[in-house]
Amino acid sequence: MTQHLSEADVRGIAEYARIGLSAEEVVTMTADLNAIIDSLKPITEFDLDGVEPTFHPIGDLSNVMRDDAVRGSFTQQVALENAPKQEDGSFLIPSILGEGGDR
Amino acid sequence: MATPFGSMGVRDIQRGLAAKEFSAAEVARASFERIEAADGVVHSFLETTEALAADAAIRIDTAIAEGRLAEMGPLAGVPVGYKDNMNLTGTHTTCSSNMLRDYVSPYTATCVEHTLRAGALPIGKLNMDEFAFGSSTETSAFGPTRNPWDIERVPGGSSGGSAAAVAAGLVPVSLGSDTGGSIRQPGAFCGLVAVKPTYGVVSRYGVVAFGSSLDQVGPFARSVEDAALALNALAGRDELDCTSQPCDVDFTANLAEGVRGMKVGVVRAFMEAEGLTAEVKAKVEEAAAVLRDAGAEIVEVELPHAQAAMSAYYVLGPCEAFSNLARFDSVRYGYCDPGHKDLGSQYEASRAAGFGPEAKRRIMLGSYLLSAGVYDTYYYPAQQVRTLITQDYAAAYERCDVILTPVAPRTAFKFGEISDPTEMYLSDMFTISINIAGNGGMSVPVGLGAQTGLPVGVQLIAPPFRDANMFRAAAALEQHYGVAPVAPDFADGKVGA
Repeated sequence: MTQHLSEADVRGIAEYARIGLSAEEVVTMTADLNAIIDSLKPITEFDLDGVEPTFHPIGDLSNVMRDDAVRGSFTQQVALENAPKQEDGSFLIPSILGEGGDR
Repeated sequence: MATPFGSMGVRDIQRGLAAKEFSAAEVARASFERIEAADGVVHSFLETTEALAADAAIRIDTAIAEGRLAEMGPLAGVPVGYKDNMNLTGTHTTCSSNMLRDYVSPYTATCVEHTLRAGALPIGKLNMDEFAFGSSTETSAFGPTRNPWDIERVPGGSSGGSAAAVAAGLVPVSLGSDTGGSIRQPGAFCGLVAVKPTYGVVSRYGVVAFGSSLDQVGPFARSVEDAALALNALAGRDELDCTSQPCDVDFTANLAEGVRGMKVGVVRAFMEAEGLTAEVKAKVEEAAAVLRDAGAEIVEVELPHAQAAMSAYYVLGPCEAFSNLARFDSVRYGYCDPGHKDLGSQYEASRAAGFGPEAKRRIMLGSYLLSAGVYDTYYYPAQQVRTLITQDYAAAYERCDVILTPVAPRTAFKFGEISDPTEMYLSDMFTISINIAGNGGMSVPVGLGAQTGLPVGVQLIAPPFRDANMFRAAAALEQHYGVAPVAPDFADGKVGA
């Protein structure tokens, strides 16, 4: 099997994907991802010169705009109902820049 | 309720309601009684919605009393279950993930809304692979669903709860979603009619997204007609999903037509594929013979790039999933790991604890495949391969009206039997290219496999927006094989009402 990704690569991807992985998970994830990426090989073996990509199964659609009119939507209260933490009608988060702390 | 409920289809229920043999309230109660009696074993439902069903039943019973049953829609009085990635106001919509364990829907998905407007009795929410990543329902954070045909075996997935609930006769109709085979493969494993319509037939608004260029919603039922009635209710343009298309097709219209004059394509390379078991192969050949004897012409067609569909899917699916699952940020909804001093560590810890291993794998894979330098090696070629696969189908449909293939390479496997992710992915080898191209495909039960004695399904694949073609051929198969039964261990008299 080709080594597409090292454990350091996997730690980098996890950071980018915002998923904390334990040292143990990094090891299994590296093995799993390398096996899966290996299985994707056929995609690299076709002669695709001049073939247009299809990004979407329904090709010949154009964008549809609705009238710019105000409609009913979630109230602020409903929008906050599933928020793990809230305060004064807003989502509550810890500091983005690292200082502050949990409230 | 005096009449056995488990084996009833849509028309049986509506006939009984019209004749006042029972009320819609009694139908709902019968469904809940069977769930109470059987679902401790099957574990198809994550939540039941007695109050919502009672309200819906009152509307139907009032209409019956006023002689307006016929106005109440194609699913009037029919218990329906919903895959737990579909929002229904006031219910939990968990996607079988710890990430959404406590999430309560503030709105209702269009597909669910359409069934309610068609008179359905909402019975509850059904188990699935976490975020629909899987082919066995084993990745549910709330425990697996068992296959009613053999409780030692998986029901398939990811819509395993939706399939098992119908196979056990708990509800006659359920909804699932299909990104690479997640309706059709559990349909085959549980011996059901299971439909993935053409991309664009059913709105996905309010269905938690996995692969947005691949996802489609569709029904499970035991008869072709019930599935067609359900799809009639589901189909159509929804301005809240810009990919949904106008649809005024009555999918029940040509069920009695037969297949005389129809051309049915078979794909030799699929029939010779490595991993296809002898019993499934024999059943597909038998189904082709049944259709031929009923007057169809069997023609050989080729899908030369279908072999690349698998790898194209495992590029496109994870990339789209990576993007879609970025919304779980521990801020607006979903699991939030407590006690973090900065947002970055809250994100990482919440997503680490909220997502299961398969979800993490797919997110990580998508993140990698979309990264600079790698994109051109996999993602872009996968979209080019998609063009070739779509062209293959277009060429095939110049020679036939519908294509007949296996659904899954084998019948239902045992829990834990397949633990290697790449081996699990092979479950979808015959279904994936249909999502890539966007066609409609459905699983049709054709009896039990000669070796395992478990249900086998064949897949019928229709040209885009010609889903009626596959229903017509499916009805001809049903003429021969009969309407799919409730799994024997859960038949009327053995369980509940």
